[in-house]
Amino acid sequence: MLGYIFKRLLLALPTLLLVAVGVFLLIRLIPGDPALVLLGNDADAASLAGMRADLGLDRPLPVQFLTWVEHAVRGDLGRSIVSGEPVSTLILNHFAVTAVVVLVAVTLATLLAITAGLVAAWRQNSSLDLAVVGAATVVLALPSFWLGLVMLLLFGVKLGWLPFVGYVPFSESAAEAALFLVMPIATLTITESGVLTRMMRASSIDVLQLDYVTHARAKGLAESTVLTRHVFPNAFAPTLTLVGLTLGHLLGGVAVIETVFTLPGLGRLMVDSVLSRDYPVVQGCLLFTAVVYVVVNLVVDLCYPIFDPRVTAR
Amino acid sequence: MSLRLGIALVGALLLTIVVGLVWMPYDPIAIDLVHPLSPPELKHWFGTDEFGRDVLSRSMLGARISVLLALATVALAIILGTALGLLAGYLRGWTDRLLMTLTDTVLAFPGILLALGLIAVLGSSDSSIILALATAYTPSVVRVVRGTVLSIREREFIEASRSAGDSALETMLRHVLPNILPPIVVLATSLFGWALLSESALSFLGVGVPPPAPTWGNMLSDSRPYMDVAGWLSIVPGLCIAGTLLGVNLLGDALRDRLDPRRLS
Amino acid sequence: MSSLAVCGALLSTCLPFRAHAEDGQPPRAPILRTRLNSDIVSTDPGTRRDENTDGVLLHIVEGLVGSREDGSVGPMLASHWTISPDGRVYTFALRPEVLFHNGAPLTAAEVVWSFQRYLKPETRWRCLDVFGPHGIARVLSVKALDPHTVEVTLDRPAPMFLTTLARADCGATGILHPDSVRADGSWVAPIGTGPFQLGEWRHNQFVQLKRFARYAALPGPRDGNVGGKHALVDELRFLVIPDSSAARAALVRGSLDVIDNLYPSDLMGIRGRKDLLFQSVPVLDCYSLLMQIKDPELRDVRIRTAIALTLDAPALTKAITGGTGTANNSPIPAASPFYHPVEARLRAVDVARARRLLEAAGYDGRPIKLVTSRRDPQMFDIAVVIQAMAARAGIHVQIDTVDWPAHLARYTTGDYQLMVESFSPRLDPALSFGLFIGDKRQEPRKTWDTPRSRELLEEAMRTADPAMRQTVFDQLTLDFLNEVPAVVLFNSARLSVVRAAVTGHQNWMSGQVRLWGVGLR
Repeated sequence: MLGYIFKRLLLALPTLLLVAVGVFLLIRLIPGDPALVLLGNDADAASLAGMRADLGLDRPLPVQFLTWVEHAVRGDLGRSIVSGEPVSTLILNHFAVTAVVVLVAVTLATLLAITAGLVAAWRQNSSLDLAVVGAATVVLALPSFWLGLVMLLLFGVKLGWLPFVGYVPFSESAAEAALFLVMPIATLTITESGVLTRMMRASSIDVLQLDYVTHARAKGLAESTVLTRHVFPNAFAPTLTLVGLTLGHLLGGVAVIETVFTLPGLGRLMVDSVLSRDYPVVQGCLLFTAVVYVVVNLVVDLCYPIFDPRVTAR
Repeated sequence: MSLRLGIALVGALLLTIVVGLVWMPYDPIAIDLVHPLSPPELKHWFGTDEFGRDVLSRSMLGARISVLLALATVALAIILGTALGLLAGYLRGWTDRLLMTLTDTVLAFPGILLALGLIAVLGSSDSSIILALATAYTPSVVRVVRGTVLSIREREFIEASRSAGDSALETMLRHVLPNILPPIVVLATSLFGWALLSESALSFLGVGVPPPAPTWGNMLSDSRPYMDVAGWLSIVPGLCIAGTLLGVNLLGDALRDRLDPRRLS
Repeated sequence: MSSLAVCGALLSTCLPFRAHAEDGQPPRAPILRTRLNSDIVSTDPGTRRDENTDGVLLHIVEGLVGSREDGSVGPMLASHWTISPDGRVYTFALRPEVLFHNGAPLTAAEVVWSFQRYLKPETRWRCLDVFGPHGIARVLSVKALDPHTVEVTLDRPAPMFLTTLARADCGATGILHPDSVRADGSWVAPIGTGPFQLGEWRHNQFVQLKRFARYAALPGPRDGNVGGKHALVDELRFLVIPDSSAARAALVRGSLDVIDNLYPSDLMGIRGRKDLLFQSVPVLDCYSLLMQIKDPELRDVRIRTAIALTLDAPALTKAITGGTGTANNSPIPAASPFYHPVEARLRAVDVARARRLLEAAGYDGRPIKLVTSRRDPQMFDIAVVIQAMAARAGIHVQIDTVDWPAHLARYTTGDYQLMVESFSPRLDPALSFGLFIGDKRQEPRKTWDTPRSRELLEEAMRTADPAMRQTVFDQLTLDFLNEVPAVVLFNSARLSVVRAAVTGHQNWMSGQVRLWGVGLR
């Protein structure tokens, strides 16, 4: 098992290296100079040159890259050009916000999907089923930021039930922080539940038609037992893959939702730092999300056997 | 029933686009600084935006632009992804390893960011958006295609083709490709939806199709400052996107049901 | 103790206001919350900066001189000064009652230290090049004559010297205590003399300023950056809220007290509310259409004139600023004391003449690219309107929207054909003209590069007499309208919205945020 994990992590190394090179080059290809952004549009050539030297941007590209990599493997991702803060601190703080929103939302969406999908499949073609499918399909078609904006308008502005600006970290006030997160989490939950519900329903329908389910029923088992102990574990596997993919993708930051609700999350950090050419932050973030992506994929693969004993992790 | 709804929605969309090619109530890019932000009424069914431009006409033109953009993205991603996925899945070995590493690398980039970066490098234009989004989506196509190819490459008719002396290329094109079409078609419908949403997300973040061309995405993003006084500006493009996606998804579902491999075999 | 007294005592501990202030001032509110649309970039004045940073830091630091409400230069830390007959030696007398935030008194030593630090290249002071080879003068020496007198010697007379010192984007040449830096010169935090001191800076969330209890205000009413700076609240909190709709909604809900700078489009929906107070103050900024004279398409003045003739500045201004801006074709802002009839003349729209000029110049309908950005929604909207207006004469304008860093890069290198640009407020017309006039070989960002314009600008900077300067500015304006290196469109107004409980908030034409003298009922 450990050997498998180790091997997988090792295999991910070339990918991580390619990501590092890719982001390093990509961000530098975008026209615009971080030194100029810092100094503003009145800067003279001398100050610009000085600032570029300060930021280490005047050294040849390979040197810059190797210096960055060398520090990165030791855990030092450098400092933000814009704010001077250590990149690793920035990333961890922003990731914490994103992680809370994403993990809670995906968990809720999964629970919702499991329940709705199972029940809809169990009562296939009934009006309940149609309602579930209809809702899931409509939800799939909604742009997430539009949903967020509408929620903001409704619950934040018009009704005033929920706060939506001035994010408060948990360390300061758990109650306030929780309130701020209600709408973003709700938006994300709704958005993600659509596709998960449909997947769960589809695989549940498939499993419900299988022989051993008929056998289980014939044996006289209660329907709830049939559903929870025979249908669910087998139907869940494809949904689990999807959950994993979704998590790996969302933990990279949900830039649009974070923008709508002005949450200091990882997605916004990445977009803002690209838009201000904050090279160290962009590079650090991408490296971080790539690692998260690899780890999440690995965890999902390892969880597979829990739900389907026929699948063994090789 | 859902199939009919899907056909109705997509039909309405196609009708709008076709009609828009020859006639629109007003010039979608003509500004009228005297009547900005007027609510829906007889003269302007969907009202006007902050420059006095007719929202209905812009939605019609936006339909054409948004849909074409999404179609081009999907086409590019599907062609590229299928080619690479076929190669990876059929040839295996080093080709497979190399392609999968590349695919994983691109997948490790958050899609929005990759698109943002590429567009920033290439400049804001229709083609750069298509290129950027296609790059972000190709890996998903590669994965699906590769997976399907892996599962069928061991089947009898493939063996038969190989023993008959067909080259790898011939086998791939003549025997493998037709059999992986169903999942590709299904994937294409999902991709279309994602592409449409992504274009609006990119516009939302400020890097979309440049003005004055309307897309539903940039109409939605431009409506933000006026949400509480000119709600129709946000509702109309939002409904257009949602309606189109709904129709496409429903059609995609119907397609999937008919192309279900279990039914085929 | 009677129950009434107990209740009273309990009640007073619940109230957010202190019942009795020690210094005889009216009771102060604990905290005033306002908004920044982006985080400040540093706490080192006049170095790494943008407008938001300047605004916040000018609550903390003060210079020898500062800007008055009408844009002129007035005393701040210097109570008065004398200029030698040859105009090269400035002798400043320091106010003896001023204290730094760490309690140390202000003396000439700290002034000399601050000046020397600004003049060191490593500090990256924004106004260093004003005292460089292409600037107004070189600083030969900064000396402490006695603990309360500082003497600055320049290599030649420079009437713009004090104006430069007072510039907000130079940090107002804020006088800092040496403890603001470490022994190796690296920056710690600003220890200044202003009515507020730096509290906590939580990156991308808020900047907290705390009242400096021992601040020695200049007597008299509030006046620009200098007079009557009384802190009426204990704490200022600048919340970083990039999204203006979120900020606006927060204000409505009561999570914010002041929004100092709104775009006209943000006013929609809250205009009529009774619980909010609105204010619109014209500022000395400038929104313009820059033209790259070196571009083959735009080299011909007829084409540039044709473009200018299609632009209906009043209609454009009204549409984009919702009537809060002032249409203006002159680089001198409408709110400036130097804005006279010559400057106030607007170019008349003449599409027919534009078409004739285009034909004479042989314009073949080729697309001309207009660069803009979305950082300022007004800049983006201007591009859309220009495109539509120019089309009326058959000019095909294509909009190229880029993000802010790319916009900056292209502005600085002159890499554009047409560009929408907004310039932040300049308090002196010479500085406003200086935005356009310059030697393109050294500063590619300047659009107006003719010997005559450069000469006239230098004359304006060399002269102290207002009447003579006005003549020069008039001539420059006329030349500007004839040669069309750019088209100035309008000056905007600073729009602010505050909750009705906020007292004393007043914007001024420098556009700089100013939260002393602002209280909460």
